[in-house]
Amino acid sequence: MNLDLGGPGPGCSAMRVRRLAAGELSGAEMERTVAHVAGCARCAATQREMALEQEQLRRDVPFPQFAAGVAEKLAHRPRQTFVARWAPLAAAAGLALIAGVQVLRVPDDSGIRSKGAASAQIFVQDGRGIHELGLAPVSEGARLLVSLHPAGRKNVSVVLVEPGETSVIYAGAAVNGPLPQAFEWTGSKAATLRIVFADRPIDPAKPPRDADVIELPLHR
Amino acid sequence: MTVKALRVIPGGLAGMNAAGPSGLLEELYEKHAAAVYGRCRYLLRNDAEAKDALQDVFVKVLRALPEFREAASPSTWVLRIATHHCLNVMRSRKALWREQLLAVARERRQETEPPDRRELVRMLLAAAPEEAQEVAVMYFVDELTQAEIAQELSRSLPTVRKRLREFLECARAALKEALPDVMLPEGDDL
Repeated sequence: MNLDLGGPGPGCSAMRVRRLAAGELSGAEMERTVAHVAGCARCAATQREMALEQEQLRRDVPFPQFAAGVAEKLAHRPRQTFVARWAPLAAAAGLALIAGVQVLRVPDDSGIRSKGAASAQIFVQDGRGIHELGLAPVSEGARLLVSLHPAGRKNVSVVLVEPGETSVIYAGAAVNGPLPQAFEWTGSKAATLRIVFADRPIDPAKPPRDADVIELPLHR
Repeated sequence: MTVKALRVIPGGLAGMNAAGPSGLLEELYEKHAAAVYGRCRYLLRNDAEAKDALQDVFVKVLRALPEFREAASPSTWVLRIATHHCLNVMRSRKALWREQLLAVARERRQETEPPDRRELVRMLLAAAPEEAQEVAVMYFVDELTQAEIAQELSRSLPTVRKRLREFLECARAALKEALPDVMLPEGDDL
C-alpha cells in the first residue's frame, strides 16, 4: 500500500490558509488564496480545523489563565529564592540591600520552623509590556501585580507603606501565584510594599512574631 | 489606613492587559495562540504538557519581539518556535514511538484501514535526525513548499531536499517492522 504523508498540494497549503486568516497576505497572493480556498475542500478542512483549535484554546486556556501563566514564566527563575535572585543584582548596582529587598524573619518564640522561606515578585505592565519590576523605577500609569510564593504559609497581607499613609492591597489566604487584583501606584516619590506571610490570620498593622516579612521598595 | 496612593484594577493580569496601551499579549493570543496550542497538542499528545508548552512558547516570543516583528510571516515564525520547543520536549522523553507505531499496526489489522497520515508523521519524527524533524513538520504538517522552507530556515533548496530524504529513509526503516506493507514516497517524488 502506498501511503501519502501529505505535504503542499497544487495551490493548497495549511500555512497559507493560516496566514490568510491572520491577515498576513496582501495583493495578488491574497486574491489568489481567497479564490482557491473558496473552491477547495482540503483548504476548507484546514479552516474547520482552525476553528476547532480556537474553540479548544478558549475552553482549555482562557486568556486570563494564559496571561497569568506567561507573566509568571517570564519572571520565573527556578531553585532560587527571592533574596538569592535580587541580592547579587543590588550588590552589582552598588545599592546593597538597603535599596534592594529585605526579607526579615520576625523571631519565632518557639524557635522551631521547618518550612522554606516564602517569597514574592512584582510584575509591572508599562510601555515595555509585562515584566518583573526588579529595581527599576515605576513609571507613571504603570500597573503592578504581586505574585506570591507562600512556601506553605497559610495567610498573607500585602500593604503599601508610604510616608504618613498605609494601604492594604490584599489580606487573606496565601495564594500561590498572582493576586486576583493589580493596582496602580499613584504616589510621587517612594514607597514600600510590605508582604507578611504567617500561618494564622494577619492583622496588617501588627504582624505576628513568627511571620516572614518581605519589603519591596518602589520608587519613581 | 487610607487608599489614596493606589487604584485597584480588578481582574489581576487580565485586567492589566485589557487596560494596557498595546494589549500586545491579548493580540498574540487572539492571532496565534490557537495554532500554537494545536501544534503543542498534536506533537505532545498531553493536554497538561501542551498548556505548559503554550506558555513557554509565548515567553520565547515575548523575549524575541524584534525578531517576531521583523518576520516576513509572523504565523510561520511563531509556529516554528512552537514546533522547535515541542520537538525538544519530545526528545527529552523516552522513545515511546516504537510502541506507538506497533499499537497503530495492531489497530490497523483490526480495522483494515490506512493509518492516519498526520499521526504517522508525528510518530516517525522521533526516528529521524534532529534537523530533519523540523523540515518534516514544515512540509507534511504546515504544507510549506520546499522553496518556502528553504527561505524560512535560510537554507539552500538542496539542503531542504536532503533533510526530507533523510526523514523518509528513517521513516521507512521504522515502518519496516510495524507496517511492512506500507510504502512511503521517494524523496524525489515530493
